[in-house]
Amino acid sequence: MRRKSLVDSILIVLSVAVFLVALGMVFFYAPREATMGEVQRIFYFHVASAWVGFFGFFVTFVGGVGYLATHNCRWDILAFSSAEVGLVYISMTLVTGMLWAKPAWGTYWTWEPRLTISAVQWLLYVAYVMLRGSVLSPEREARFAAVYGIAAFVTVPLSWFAIRWWRTIHPQVISSEGMALAPRMIHTLFVSIAAFTLVYFALLRQRIALEQSRDHLAALRLHDEAATS
Amino acid sequence: MIEVNQLTKSFGPRRALVGIDLCVAPGECVVLCGPNGAGKTTLLRILATLARPTSGTVRIAGVDTAKAGADARMKIGFLSHRTLLYDDLTAEQNLAFYARMYAIPDAQTRIDALLERVELTARRHDLVRTYSRGMQQRLAVARAVLHRPPLVLLDEPYTGLDPLAADALTALLTDLTGEGGTLLLTSHNLQTDVTLNRRVVVLNRGRIVYDAPHADAATFPALYRELVGGEAVSPRHPATNSQQPVSSNQQPTTNNQQPTTNNQHPNFFRQVWAIVAKDIAAELHTREIFSAMFVFAVLALLIFSFALDLRGALAQTAAPGVLWATIAFAGTLGLSRSMAREQQTGGIEGLLLAPIDRAAIFFGKALGNLALMLAVEIVLIPLATVMFDVAFLRGGVLLTVLLGTVAYAAVGTLLAAIAVHTRAREVMLPILLLPLLIPLLITAVKATGVLLEGATWAEIGGWGQILVVYNLLIIAVALLTFGYVIEE
Repeated sequence: MRRKSLVDSILIVLSVAVFLVALGMVFFYAPREATMGEVQRIFYFHVASAWVGFFGFFVTFVGGVGYLATHNCRWDILAFSSAEVGLVYISMTLVTGMLWAKPAWGTYWTWEPRLTISAVQWLLYVAYVMLRGSVLSPEREARFAAVYGIAAFVTVPLSWFAIRWWRTIHPQVISSEGMALAPRMIHTLFVSIAAFTLVYFALLRQRIALEQSRDHLAALRLHDEAATS
Repeated sequence: MIEVNQLTKSFGPRRALVGIDLCVAPGECVVLCGPNGAGKTTLLRILATLARPTSGTVRIAGVDTAKAGADARMKIGFLSHRTLLYDDLTAEQNLAFYARMYAIPDAQTRIDALLERVELTARRHDLVRTYSRGMQQRLAVARAVLHRPPLVLLDEPYTGLDPLAADALTALLTDLTGEGGTLLLTSHNLQTDVTLNRRVVVLNRGRIVYDAPHADAATFPALYRELVGGEAVSPRHPATNSQQPVSSNQQPTTNNQQPTTNNQHPNFFRQVWAIVAKDIAAELHTREIFSAMFVFAVLALLIFSFALDLRGALAQTAAPGVLWATIAFAGTLGLSRSMAREQQTGGIEGLLLAPIDRAAIFFGKALGNLALMLAVEIVLIPLATVMFDVAFLRGGVLLTVLLGTVAYAAVGTLLAAIAVHTRAREVMLPILLLPLLIPLLITAVKATGVLLEGATWAEIGGWGQILVVYNLLIIAVALLTFGYVIEE
């Protein structure tokens, strides 16, 4: 079983510190947005959680490819752990998106394409987690999840490019002309993304450790059963 | 014929096989026995290339199964716990299908001879589902030896057979060894004629604990109980003994009549077509999937009409969505049943035993599903045209329907192959499939709506691009990953 390492401790402390800095920047450093006012500050959480959520699904995709290529269960544990953490982030994206949508667009939910694709991503990774709980053989579970994780990630580029391909009312933060944001807003956004990313890695390492402990326990039980039979 | 070197197989932390070394000479008949969970079936499945070892090497007739699986599969016949026969095909159609999979030359003559030999000529045109267990097992043996494999692996071939059927099977297996074939079979019954005077290998807890000729029916059961009751011990006779072939009369078998394998590899497109034709033939016999999909689609159209009160301008607006929702739900129903039919009979396992490219299996299954969905749409679209008074029957709309259905069949085939192995498989397919399809469905609905307003295909812009990109991505992913889904 893996003990909490120095890396974990540093990561947790760093995550908390950067997160506090990000909170301070969101409320005291970033300027008030002229049109939407204070409510626009949710943008820093919304965009950061979306970026990290998609990154988590990318790691699931990489883990799936790695598992299929090597059949090494470490890749599978990485993929599964990242999907679960990514799912938390995408849930946060949807909730913050809805909270932002009400004052901005007058409704909690609108079938705007990128919001819709985010919801689809959420459904995909809920299905991914359900699939993992529905297959009896661990080896088969890992294989199926890897395939589904790869197929699910195919929709991420569609989500990313949807804003260009479909007419949308979603604010286009990054365009071909660069970011349509004030410099202080950009600084705050990057620090928020860094904070959310550090928390993602801290959670990911804890989730991986939990899965490794589970495997270790299963091996001990098997050894125990073999010894007593 | 078989060379196994330091073979190990683990399932997670559990080790099913540990350091197996085994050599079986051409013409030899070896009985593999051991208690439940000893690793017999796992060993046979690895030899049959259905499962991959964790470590170690397997060579069949000099061919490394890890490096040249298709070549090895040409040399192996495998009789599994399941018959690997399609219940909804006749005996002759089953053998003809497998003959195409193995590219057997002069297949009809071979099929006639085998049906005669297993005494099923009179029932050759009957569906397999009408056969008794013994008849199915005889036909399964015919399937296993159809391509004249020099090695036949049999997993508990006597399970579920009455004494008469067991005698018939024994005679058939004795004939096979008499012709120079190599047999490796698992058995619990150490008293059968096939077992007596053969080389017996006993597996216990994944290790070989005994390897020697079985000559004394009176004392062997006691020895066997001692072997499997205690801790794993070193083999009583080293595996090198196995280099001496032992036939039923303890004499080395002459190899004059050794089965000759057809070394010509089957054509990819012929194999794809054989799978499509097999699925269509099975459906023509039962009509269960088409009927269910069609009735479900009509019901969905009616319910949407009642629920949304679709008339006039509203029908024009809502009709594309209703059409695609109907296609999606009916398609899910059909895909689920199609793959379940394959799984129930062990058909996928039968395909994996053949020297077939995994991509050919994917294309065959996906095209079979596509044919079913298109057959339903051919009836559904004119019906929706009449019901909603909307002009679905125009080139652009039909092209959109075709592209959408191709993508649906591709991703649906991949996910149906996953869903059949899950608990609650009936609900798992839509849970897996529909989120993956939503971008496609949104695009297809929007494209159909724009086309119904009078635009041409060239004028729908981004919708068409997304439809094409989605198709390309999903087909590429399905092609690359389907092999991993269906492997054991």
